[in-house]
Amino acid sequence: MSAKLLSSLTVAALLLAPLSSQAQLPRDPVERARIISQIMETQSRQLTLFDRQGQTVGVVGPRDLYNQPVFSPDAKRMAVIKPDLDKETNDLWIIDVATAKGIQITSSKSREGANSPAWSPDGSQVAYVALRDGYFGLYRKASSGQGTEELLFKNSAPMTLTDWSQDGGHLTYFSTDLSGGGLYALPLNAQGERKPIEVLHSKSQLQGPRLSPDNRFMTFTSNEAGRFDVYAIRFDPAATTPATPVQISDQGGTGMVFWRRDGKELYYLAADRAIMAVEVGSGSTATFGKPTLLFRPPADIVAAIGPGNASVSRDGERFVIAVPRPQLRQLTIYDRQGKVVSTVGQPGFYNQPNLSPDGTRAVVMRNDPQSGDVDIWTIDLASGKGTPITDDVFPQNAPIWSPDGKQVAYVSTKDGFSGIYRKAADGTGEPELLFQYTPGAGMVLTDWSPDGKFLTFFTGVIVVVPIGDNKKGLERKEIDWLREDYDAGQGRFSPDNRYLAYLSNEENVDRGEVYVRPFDASRPEAPGPGDAVRVSLDGSIGMITWRQDGKELYFMTRNWEVMAVEVTTTPTFKAGEPRLLFSLPGPLPGNPMQWKNVSKDGDRFIFAMPTTTAPAAR
Amino acid sequence: MNHRTTVFALAALLLAASAWAHHNMSALFDFKDRVTLTGTLTKMDWRNPHISVYVDAKIGDKVQPWSIEGPAPNFFRARDISKVDVEQAIGKIVTAEVSRARDGSNAGLLRTLNLPDGKVVSACPQNC
Repeated sequence: MSAKLLSSLTVAALLLAPLSSQAQLPRDPVERARIISQIMETQSRQLTLFDRQGQTVGVVGPRDLYNQPVFSPDAKRMAVIKPDLDKETNDLWIIDVATAKGIQITSSKSREGANSPAWSPDGSQVAYVALRDGYFGLYRKASSGQGTEELLFKNSAPMTLTDWSQDGGHLTYFSTDLSGGGLYALPLNAQGERKPIEVLHSKSQLQGPRLSPDNRFMTFTSNEAGRFDVYAIRFDPAATTPATPVQISDQGGTGMVFWRRDGKELYYLAADRAIMAVEVGSGSTATFGKPTLLFRPPADIVAAIGPGNASVSRDGERFVIAVPRPQLRQLTIYDRQGKVVSTVGQPGFYNQPNLSPDGTRAVVMRNDPQSGDVDIWTIDLASGKGTPITDDVFPQNAPIWSPDGKQVAYVSTKDGFSGIYRKAADGTGEPELLFQYTPGAGMVLTDWSPDGKFLTFFTGVIVVVPIGDNKKGLERKEIDWLREDYDAGQGRFSPDNRYLAYLSNEENVDRGEVYVRPFDASRPEAPGPGDAVRVSLDGSIGMITWRQDGKELYFMTRNWEVMAVEVTTTPTFKAGEPRLLFSLPGPLPGNPMQWKNVSKDGDRFIFAMPTTTAPAAR
Repeated sequence: MNHRTTVFALAALLLAASAWAHHNMSALFDFKDRVTLTGTLTKMDWRNPHISVYVDAKIGDKVQPWSIEGPAPNFFRARDISKVDVEQAIGKIVTAEVSRARDGSNAGLLRTLNLPDGKVVSACPQNC
């Protein structure tokens, strides 16, 4: 998993994150089982076979938490990574394509695991990366599951294996961090200690190296030119300086670059997740033809397809995609009784809809299926018309409105730094950097104070950023408002600016509850005097929102119930008994710990509801 | 790899974000440069987004003060290591394996911590 590149709070924040068996689950058995069940429901995938025309020709077994499927050389079996959430492991399985019968190949200890399988040319073995006793290593084992695993190469840092060369002589892998990316080939037949060959190193990200069947070229993806594209470089283990890469893709390429067995064709996943084919000419200098479209995956899942969940058979006739549940969402407005009042525009790949102060617009994260980019849009609720706020390749997330509704703020990650930017809500003008965080650090932006002078985000700590000054974004410093040994997040300013509501697990590590504490703008280094007042009674997952008059507070329970609580803020904060407004058919996509989706009068609620109808046209 | 825990497991796994990594560890620490330090645990800061422990490490004849970052408190809670366990080790000899800071300072990212009572704290897979 690529969480090693940047915190997933930064890169994948507020999108469905890649599943990690190593994320820690609650220890309470009931709560743990409940979470696992919800993860299975939302993140399980169906191994689905496609032909070159994109017709579905079969499925393999039931849905499960599959990742990284790779065909065996004869395409009769499939290597796949499957997490065991309860044991907190990832392990390698070999699945018979015809019968769906699976064999578990690796047996990892808790909080360890295997990933990124690659088949030996004859299909008798599978190589993989495994974390064992604190070290990453390249291992191989018989694909029958017999025998013990053999350590081929031990590495201190994470790496991702992508291929085993057709002559059996090399494993190719990549390793990347904020200092740059590297493509490597590990000679398997050399005498003595195996030493990897660094084929290429760059300050950009380099991924997915695969050798051509004749070992003359290595294909890979790189974002050196600003977006990911597919490249080829001459592979010469003895070279002291790398050759110049040749670009193969013409409209972006995210990965899944596989060579056909005869070396005359290769395949990749384009930026818009189309499956592309490229003819490869023979001769001393390989020539790569113009990419042609083979097929586009189904529109309702396309946004969730990536190089890690699709691959190609060696003859180029079969494609396997671990198909997720439909990813389309319909922006839907509910009243206080849970009745659907209206839907907004066409379905799209929306996330995190937050209502403008006047309740006429929503700001959302929108995944563009054509480019794969996640941008911030505002949507007019009456007409459904969308306006792009951002339109670039940088990942953006966590949009919120300014108190007057004239601007939106959001988090964008550029060159390894997450920053909070603001821009006019009509999309005009240039973005202004309000604050930049420490390198690689992620943050979830949750509110903009009613007086306009503070932003707040969380990192497990609730942090405030004073912006009511004339400083430049790079000059501003964050202030920890609530930094404890328990988790705290989703700070929400009361309309009178005197309190922050937030979610924390102060009392029960397995359960978040809503609390309120005084906020003193003249002393933002800590909550004001007095104990935290607990608002929720039986857990919450977020959606903390104040009514504009400060007399009601809303939140969502672990069972996807929308709750309301009468509150008073003068002379001190007091909360009444939470009462159920309505329930939603959860689990819902997105992160409730960033939702601010209630109208100022508390009469309307907006959610991005899963749907299967056609995607919105841009 | 960065991982999240317990109460926010829904937000972490099912719904969206998965970590509070305060910063990307590979940006600041070189995972390929491991150092084993033995010395006196002088103090600790057991708070989000990550804990810190401070060790006066004996390097040859000299004592060097090292600051060591670890995962979030909940990471340890899930492994039956409490704040008290580490607090009780203050003033005693501990051994820590760390990934050294890229800037060459006496700072590291915790990989394992051996406490005086025999408990071994591993920060894997988060800090591997």
